[in-house]
Order: sequence, then structure tokens, then C-alpha cells
Amino acid sequence: MSAHEPLSDHDVFALFPNVMIDRDNIAHYRALAAGHLAINRCGDCGYWVYPHRPMCPECLSWNVTPTEVSGQGRVFMFTLIHQLRDPHSNIMEPVVVAAIELVEQAGLRYLSRIVNCPLEEITLDMPVSLTWIPEGAPRSPAFEPASAQGLEARG
Amino acid sequence: MARNPLKDRLAVIGVGSTPYGRDLRRSELSLGLEAAVHAIEDAGIDRQEIDGICGSGMTPLAMGGAGFLSLQGALGIERTTWVKNGWLGSAFVYAAEAVFSGLCDTVLVVQTYLRDINMSRSAASDPFRLRAAQFSDVGGDVGMGDFARRWLHSGEPYAGWIRRYMKDYATDKKAFALMAVNNRSHGARNPDAVMKTPITLDDYDNSRMIWDPMQMLDMDVPVDCGEAVIITTAERARDLDVKPVYIHAMSLGGSRVGEFYENTLGWTENAFWIALGGLWDRSDLKIGDLDIFFPYDGYSVDAVAVTEAAGFCKPGEAGDCFTDSWDRKNQILRLNGRTLVTTHGGGLAMGRAGGANFYAEAVRQLRGNEGHRQVPGAKTALIGIGSFFHDPAAVMLRVD
Repeated sequence: MSAHEPLSDHDVFALFPNVMIDRDNIAHYRALAAGHLAINRCGDCGYWVYPHRPMCPECLSWNVTPTEVSGQGRVFMFTLIHQLRDPHSNIMEPVVVAAIELVEQAGLRYLSRIVNCPLEEITLDMPVSLTWIPEGAPRSPAFEPASAQGLEARG
Repeated sequence: MARNPLKDRLAVIGVGSTPYGRDLRRSELSLGLEAAVHAIEDAGIDRQEIDGICGSGMTPLAMGGAGFLSLQGALGIERTTWVKNGWLGSAFVYAAEAVFSGLCDTVLVVQTYLRDINMSRSAASDPFRLRAAQFSDVGGDVGMGDFARRWLHSGEPYAGWIRRYMKDYATDKKAFALMAVNNRSHGARNPDAVMKTPITLDDYDNSRMIWDPMQMLDMDVPVDCGEAVIITTAERARDLDVKPVYIHAMSLGGSRVGEFYENTLGWTENAFWIALGGLWDRSDLKIGDLDIFFPYDGYSVDAVAVTEAAGFCKPGEAGDCFTDSWDRKNQILRLNGRTLVTTHGGGLAMGRAGGANFYAEAVRQLRGNEGHRQVPGAKTALIGIGSFFHDPAAVMLRVD
């Protein structure tokens, strides 16, 4: 299989064994496996449709296509998880869970981690950029302060 | 005004509750049956008069707990013409509408709760709770396995909302803290509450951080409990010995937010605003007529949202409103100088029952027999229960 050939459905299911994959969202996971964050977008009116639904709620078109997003956004809301749902799991430091509002559309948000940022410096509406962390199969999306990426680029 | 053909034509005739406790060593069905039998005795009816049952559960055919199939069999009720499972505030509304539609005449609503294994370490070491969880039908686990779907039916976005609320309205945690203190003050007067001591603002501030900025005292207390209510027609209710508590108006509420809660709409667009708006569109009673107000407190932020959605203050102003409404002597709220709030202590003090104990308390207070806890002359109660995202219900109860 060439590196550019899309993964088969079977491969996507195998890569994400614990995710409820269905026909409406498999393209999103296929893209994730290839290192792309793709969200369904309406080909008729341009509306971004998330979560992964087969029909546009704005114009009722079925012409929705997974489309890569820019990865730029802002922190809309977040919480620091001090105690996990599993009472037996001890965590050394709080887990950040953040709803990132993507620049593509007001209210279009992707739930993710925030990395490369001390917890006390995370603020609401802070600009962030997509990055990838070595977790999951094979990597998972995360967000970091937009300034951090800028500094790296300059460096 | 919206149509309200059911106005005052349905009545609650029975309420039944189990004891509340952290470890009652009972099954959900056992709790449900006890609550049901108490409610039937309270109404003073033959159980064969019940021809509709709303059991406990998030899915239509929820099994393993106190769903309608198990309840009907275990109660020996011969014939039903309407059944369903439900939870939170909406279960009561579904049952009432079934009576109004004529699909049944007398409906039993049973809601049971167990202290779940994901709520405490000791619960997670109880083999009965572990086995019950293994076979439970909660319907909420489809988000597992993908971090991005973590907020599918999750409580964490409520923690996120506390911070967002404080920033957008340039306020602090005062509203959440005073609601928690109010509920614990009332709980301390309620012999059935599991949390029997009042708290101070310092206790609130110092409580353990769970989902920053949400703290332990912002969260309802996991318990084992069961609650039941019986609803019938106003006409039938007037033939019984109990004082009918009339359903004056009801509303559910849904928004277009969908199932990924990070896509939450604005603070004033969440489902509570829709449900409370629907209620006021159908009610002859106004906010100034309210004797008791029951804002659901699964999390304190729910109760603040329901209070603002009901119109006691403008969005974002609950902190100032609660400060102005504060009865320092009793450490409780008196909204508009008079309306008492969550007189039994709610989930934060009495224990977690998905709001079912709010209905029970409202009915008992409106009947007027609550002894030293009785709100003098209580004639009206507004109940707002549910989630920002699903199953919100607003119900106005009244007595003659």
C-alpha cells in the first residue's frame, strides 16, 4: 500500500478500536490517521457541519464533504480535570479539556487538549493552533498557544 | 400566549419516597418498588387503578433497574395502556401528557438513583454496584475512545460554563456559592437529607476542586434513593381524600445544539431558557406569584441558569440578585423578598435524584402538612429541571 493511498475502512476500524465509527464519521477518522483534521462542509452553502452529520442543517443539502480546517482557533471554554470518572485512576496533574472555536465558523468547536502551555496561562479566548501529539493511532490532534508556534517558526 | 388546554386539568395525588443514604444495600428495583408503594398508599387508591407507568432510565427499554416492565411485573399491576421510561424533569411531563391525551387515566412515575461506581472509590469497590454498572443501560458511553467526543453526555462542559459565565458577565462565583449555601441550609432542616450540616461561604471556597473551576460543593451528592409520584385527572383527584395539587402549566425545551456539548449555544440560548419561556407562555401565574421555586441543582450552575431563565434577574446578574435576596439569619434565599428556593435541600443536600425529589417536595409543601418545615400558605411552586442540552422541563404546580 502506498503512503498516499487512503486507508481502507477495515484499517480505520482497526486503528480506532474503541471509537463508535459509522458511515457518517469514518472519513473524519481516516483523515485523522493521515494527520489531517477534517470537518464536514456543505458544498452548496459552505456551512461547516459538526459533529459529523450527513446533511447540512442550514440548507438541507446532502452534499457535505470532509474538508481540512486551517487549525487556527480560540479557547472557547475549558476545564481542568482534577478527578477522573474512574475513581481508581490517580492523575499527577490536572487534565485539560478545551473546546476550541475554529476560525472557520462561529460556534464551530472541536474538543481537544492544550499542550505547550503552563496550565495557569490558559485563558478563555486565547488564540491557539493545531498541533499533533504522540498519543493514540498514530497521533492525536491537540492545540497550543498560537504564539508558541509563531516563536518556533521564527526560531 | 401559547395554547394550554391542560391547564389545571391534571393533578398529583400521590408521592412516595425511600430513605436517602450513601449505601442502602438495595437494588434499584427495590428502591423503586418502595417509593411506588408509598405513593399508592399516599394517594389512597387501589394499585389496579394505575394504567400507565413511567419507569427509570434514559432509553426506551432500559433494563436492569426500575424500568416500566420490571415495575409493572413486580407491582402486580394487571393492565397498562401507556408505558415509557424517562428521567430528569421530562419524565413527569411525559406521564402527565399521557393522562391528558387519554392514553391512560392514572399514571405512576418511578425514578431511582444509585451512587454510581464512577462517583466514589468506595462505590467502585462494591461488587453489587460493579455488576449493576456492567449491565446498566445508561446510553451515555458512545463518546468513549475519542477525546474529541468526551463531552457527549458529559458533566464537564458545565464546569467550562462556570468560567465562561464569570468572564462574559464580569462576575465571580458568588451566585454558585450562595445557591450551595441555600440548599445546604434547607437540607439541615430536612431530616431525610443526607447532608445534615449547613455550610459557610468559606466551606464552599475551600471545597475540593473536581473539574476546575467546579468544586465538590457545586455537585449533587450521590446517594441511593427512589421517588414516585402519581398523576391523574383533576376530576378523579377531587373524589379522593388527598388535596389535589394541580398541574397549571408545563413545557419541555430543546435547542439545536445537538449531542456534542462543546457546541453549546450561548448562555441564554440553552434549553432551560426555552423550557422556562414555554412555561411562561402557558401560565396564568406570574413570577411574582411564586411561593416556592425549585431550580434543579445537579450542578450549582444548573440552578443559577434555571433561576436566570425563569426571569428572577437578568442574565449574568444572579450573584447580585442572590446577595440582595439573602436572608442572613437563616442563610437562605428569598427571591423578590419572598420566594423560597429548594426548601428540601435539593441534590446538593438531600441527595442526587435527578430532580425527582423536587416534585415530591413541591407536592408536600403545597398540601401544607410539612410541620416545622412548612412554607406558610404555600399555593404555587415552579419546578425547573434538566440539562443545558437535553430533557429540561418546567412545571407550575398550584393548589386552590
